[in-house]
Amino acid sequence: MILPKFEFHEPTSVAEACDLLARHRGKARPLAGGTDLLVNMKKKVMSPGHLVWLGRIPELSRLERSNGTLWVGAGVTVSDIAASEAVAKAVSALGQGARALGTPLIRNLATIGGNIGSARPAADLPLSLMVYGAELVLAGTSGERRMPIAEFFKGPGLTTAREDELITAIAVEVPRGYSGAGYLNLGIRKSQDCNIVNVASFLELDEKAERIRTARIALGSVGPTPLRSLKAEKLLVGAKPDERLFEQAAQAATHDCTPILDFRGSAEYRRAMVDVLTRRTLAMAMAEARSRT
Amino acid sequence: MSDHRVINSRLPRLDAPVKATGRAVFIDDMSFPNMLHAAMLQSPLPHARILKIDTSRAERLPGVKAVITSKDAGLVRYGVSPARYDETVFCHDRVRYVGDEIAAVAAVDKETAEEAVGLIKVDFEELPAVLTIEEAMAEGAPQLHAEYPRNLSAEVHQEFGNVAEALKTCDLTKTTTFKNKRQDGAFLEPPGCIAVFDLDGRLTLHSSTQSPHYVQRTLAMVLGLPVGKVRVVKPYVGGGFGIKAAVNTGELTACLLARKTGKPVKFIYSREQVFMLCRARHQFVHRMTTGVKKDGTLLALQHECYLDGGAYSSFGIATVYYAGSLLGGPYKLPNMKYDGWRVYTNKPTCGAQRGHGGVAARAAWEQQLDTIAEELGIDPIELRLKNMMQAGDVTCNDLNMSSLGMKECIEAVRNASGWASKKGKLPRGKGIGMACGFFVSGAGYPIYRSDTYHCTATVKLAEDGGAVQVYSASAEIGQGSDTAFGMIAAEALGVPLDCVRVISGDTDFGVDLGAYSSRQTLMTGHAVKEAAEEVKRQVLEALADELKVPAADMDIKEGRIVFKNGLVDYSGIRSRYIKEHRGWSDSPQEDALTFREASRIAYLAKGTIVGTGKYKPPALGGTFKGAAVGTSPAYGCSAQVAEVEVDLETGKIVIEKMTDAHDCGRAINRTSVEGQMEGSLAMGMGEALFEEVKFDDRGRVINCDLAEYKLVTALDMPPVETIIVESDEPNGPFGAKEVGEGAIMPTIPAILNAVYDATGLRIHELPLTSERVHAALKARGIKQ
Repeated sequence: MILPKFEFHEPTSVAEACDLLARHRGKARPLAGGTDLLVNMKKKVMSPGHLVWLGRIPELSRLERSNGTLWVGAGVTVSDIAASEAVAKAVSALGQGARALGTPLIRNLATIGGNIGSARPAADLPLSLMVYGAELVLAGTSGERRMPIAEFFKGPGLTTAREDELITAIAVEVPRGYSGAGYLNLGIRKSQDCNIVNVASFLELDEKAERIRTARIALGSVGPTPLRSLKAEKLLVGAKPDERLFEQAAQAATHDCTPILDFRGSAEYRRAMVDVLTRRTLAMAMAEARSRT
Repeated sequence: MSDHRVINSRLPRLDAPVKATGRAVFIDDMSFPNMLHAAMLQSPLPHARILKIDTSRAERLPGVKAVITSKDAGLVRYGVSPARYDETVFCHDRVRYVGDEIAAVAAVDKETAEEAVGLIKVDFEELPAVLTIEEAMAEGAPQLHAEYPRNLSAEVHQEFGNVAEALKTCDLTKTTTFKNKRQDGAFLEPPGCIAVFDLDGRLTLHSSTQSPHYVQRTLAMVLGLPVGKVRVVKPYVGGGFGIKAAVNTGELTACLLARKTGKPVKFIYSREQVFMLCRARHQFVHRMTTGVKKDGTLLALQHECYLDGGAYSSFGIATVYYAGSLLGGPYKLPNMKYDGWRVYTNKPTCGAQRGHGGVAARAAWEQQLDTIAEELGIDPIELRLKNMMQAGDVTCNDLNMSSLGMKECIEAVRNASGWASKKGKLPRGKGIGMACGFFVSGAGYPIYRSDTYHCTATVKLAEDGGAVQVYSASAEIGQGSDTAFGMIAAEALGVPLDCVRVISGDTDFGVDLGAYSSRQTLMTGHAVKEAAEEVKRQVLEALADELKVPAADMDIKEGRIVFKNGLVDYSGIRSRYIKEHRGWSDSPQEDALTFREASRIAYLAKGTIVGTGKYKPPALGGTFKGAAVGTSPAYGCSAQVAEVEVDLETGKIVIEKMTDAHDCGRAINRTSVEGQMEGSLAMGMGEALFEEVKFDDRGRVINCDLAEYKLVTALDMPPVETIIVESDEPNGPFGAKEVGEGAIMPTIPAILNAVYDATGLRIHELPLTSERVHAALKARGIKQ
């Protein structure tokens, strides 16, 4: 398989990158790890005439915690996220997603920005970011803006970013005590899979650790974009957490998804697995929340 | 332990340094001056008439050197078995599957060649296609080949004993239907080749192949060249698993383009094209009825099998025979009836893959035997032991188990897995299961009818003394055969392995049918051993003349001459040697006459010392139709225990441990034997759990890459405890027999039986994806 012909650009600043994207509007794609883009180009699914490589922009690879916010540069690799203590401590479910993604070789190249920007419904990182309430920092020729990650996705491969815009960072407010999250994915084998279903759940308890104050559940691979299960969340908020409640919430989640049948799995199975994985990630979130009281 | 000095050890492989450092040369690493690159036009439709092919635009593209179609290639029919030559290089009137080859281009680079292929215009008239066995066999179905009516590529009808009568006397009969899925060989290295014609019209094809010999013959036949003008050379090969055991269209195409352009032409299959080439494991549907007595004695097997063959026959005739014949053992089975049908469909052609024909059949039957054991209240291991054949037994279909360490294998895995403390005692969701299997150590007959030797070997001593060169046309394809033959030569000659160099994979070095049907260790091993012994005889004879000591009173061991009747004065030889090497720093210092000195003396006395060896099996098997398929000079056998955990909510299976015992007769290289055992197991595990080539309703492969075609990854592999059982095969060189394929036989049924133990579910369709298991759990209303 041979890559189609393209022009290769190597900007050294975000501004320069956005200028290039603007200049070749509609014909340019940002290139980070290339683990999705280059494969699709080889398959001739995409053939952008210009690739704007982001690897020479140092500010994209920062990963730091300041003033209660974890900043993850869009160019941080998945393996760095998987290994990061800051991530493990503040947003453990993001680390779980990172460790579940692809293979070690892919994780060494793939970036968090790419995993979000490629807008694959089965992607491993967006779900936990959604339940943590993360925001994306987008830079374009007319300046910078922030948007909740959930508003970024429009459909498979489609986003609300403008053609001259880049994700430069992901900002996650570090959850307070009495909260926890969990991420699980189910594929065919143990690694290097496109997920059949993936789920992230987040729970925050009140100060007495008695009732659920906040609940967020995100479902992957069961709709054109990552989905929030508002029905399940509604059931959980204000309730006392127990197994029965989580079972009901997991059932509710199955009504908040729109799985399709494809060669990887049937809609029926995906829906059934939304149930199982929601229940299990809620239990993970609960266990972490209790450990952080 | 044996008193062998070289074999039966764990010596490092001869190719380890070059492979570990990335210096081993594979076909894609090779190039020649002025080499052109080829690309192929393949059918986008599963079944269509070709009305017109217009290559003019492709020919005009700058950089294109030749465009060929069936007009250039001719319509010589070829295939694997001469009984079913049903392929031509290019289609001329009809395409029969998505991927069927229509034309090819040679150009200055691959990009240009591929672009030119896109400029070839073909007018098709689409024909209705048959994509399943049922569609192909239906009344009035579209026919793929006029000369093979009812879309039957081959059918087999055999009966040994009297099954109907025997079933009447059984206390219990069990009927089940079982289905596997089409596999892909999924070797790391896609096939590829470079064809070079010299100025005298001699063709050399460098190719990633398992059988230089068969490729040589087919090239000569299709290209109309004398065999003597065709040489096939194999560089290092990244796996074959059966798929590379026959000529492929890419090889023929490169040769045709090289002949037309006068330049070397390279063609490398893409991964997508590998799925269209296929030639891998068929989809089988087995229906088996087994009858037993109350005490578990097996009396009869009635067996029907349908194979989805794809568009052409390839190895398929052998496959449909093997699917029946390989159930003749390893249990005593007095009555067996087999009816098999291999069906043409408008899909890529299936062929031979590791465990040829027998893997799905074995999976179906070994699971059924477990069901029977349970109904009779007999431990499945006891049922198997009760019916087990012994060395020297002959199956009802005339396969001679000249050695059979089956019982030892079963006992080994039973003990090592802790079977007694686990079977029936594990918590829900966890299970243990076992199964057995056996396989040929080389097919008893070549694929074309001939009295040819199956292999020849030449061992030559370097004239300088001390170095041994082994020449063979055998195929090292990653399995370690070069190392095995080096060790066999070293052992037979009495020298250390580092004296030996193995040069193989070249038809100039003789005849060798190649690396398929697990034949090389036994067959090529015999030829190499004979050649090495011949060389040894010549060296000792020369020494006998020189020292006036009878040759029978001498031997060579560990590179030294052993005098059986006490010391002999060899100082004359030593001083001659040292005088010949004045100024050299490595004069022999040993207090014994060395092989280096002895082989130098032999050369000085007789000229170049060369020994040749050859092997072909004796006449084997019965006289019934198809009796040849399944015969072998020896059979390897194995038993495995699988321990699994099944997630009762998701259906996901995790193999926690495999215990694997294989009887390889005598291990030539113990590490290589274990490598084959683990490799077989990994392949079987993939077929059991994940692998399936999937098609859309237009006959196109949906998952034609290794992201979506799911092999087991390193993470999926469980710990595997390998136990080598050595039965000392009387027909094998140093007692050796196969390990490369027999080791896959028990894997799938052991897993199936373990899944049953964990869930109470008998699943009769592969692969056991979490979705399939979940559906079965749900249907049975099983909750955690």
